[in-house]
Amino acid sequence: MITLGHYLVLSVAIFTVGTIGFVVRRNLLVVLMSIELQLNAVNLALVAANRFHPASHAGQVTAFFIIAIAAAEAAVGLAIVVSFFRLRHTVRTDEADRMRH
Amino acid sequence: MSELAGAPAGGVGAVVFWASAGLALACALLTVLSGRAIRSAVFLLGTVLSIAVLYTLLDAHFLAAIQVIVYAGAVVVLFVFVIMLLGPGSEVGRQRRMKLTRALGAASLLSVGGVLAWALAAERPEAALPEGFGTVRSVASALFRENVFTFEAVSVLLLVAIIGAVAVAKGKKSQEPRP
Repeated sequence: MITLGHYLVLSVAIFTVGTIGFVVRRNLLVVLMSIELQLNAVNLALVAANRFHPASHAGQVTAFFIIAIAAAEAAVGLAIVVSFFRLRHTVRTDEADRMRH
Repeated sequence: MSELAGAPAGGVGAVVFWASAGLALACALLTVLSGRAIRSAVFLLGTVLSIAVLYTLLDAHFLAAIQVIVYAGAVVVLFVFVIMLLGPGSEVGRQRRMKLTRALGAASLLSVGGVLAWALAAERPEAALPEGFGTVRSVASALFRENVFTFEAVSVLLLVAIIGAVAVAKGKKSQEPRP
């Protein structure tokens, strides 16, 4: 018997893995991938909640919009990574200190 | 339909759930733990596909297709393209361990405990599945009848993101010497 709780636990676990990756990793590309993990975890929670409250499609529609915005975020984020690499010849987040006083 | 593909159905559904849940979590962990960016991208692909399987278990067939097309087909491929473009520059070598990041990692791990306990305590009964739940027709109806303005706003956002990505990626050349 798989309940909503199972899906929420899995979603929270993936979100946590994404959060830890976002905070701990120093590679700009892996940081962006961690953000994708977090968005995927949120989508899973939304779709699962929608499945167990199927009166409307609100959860699935929200997940659809999140997927669209995640794609836009990945495109802009990777453009920034390429631009940053042209500037500093690395993708280390520690090197992104141009605006630091 | 709901008996066959419904998430709470025992037997096959439970087996598929545990298999894809384990795969999704393992691939998510390996995404974060892999030393090389290209391996992280491949494991991210594994996570995305496992979650697409979970979507079909949850009767969200349209979203499962969108997940495969947009994430596996576009986002992960974009990541791989950028990694190939940067070449060896996409690696950062061994990273220094920092106290603050360790503390933040531990804090986020601890906060999971609370949410886990809440989620497991919240057992909800399954509602009967309406006809056509999660199909293209019903999701499109919800999308274009109730959320049409959001949909148009997202299309404008995507256009702005495309223009912004091109403008940012063109950038200007570095004045600093290559290390």
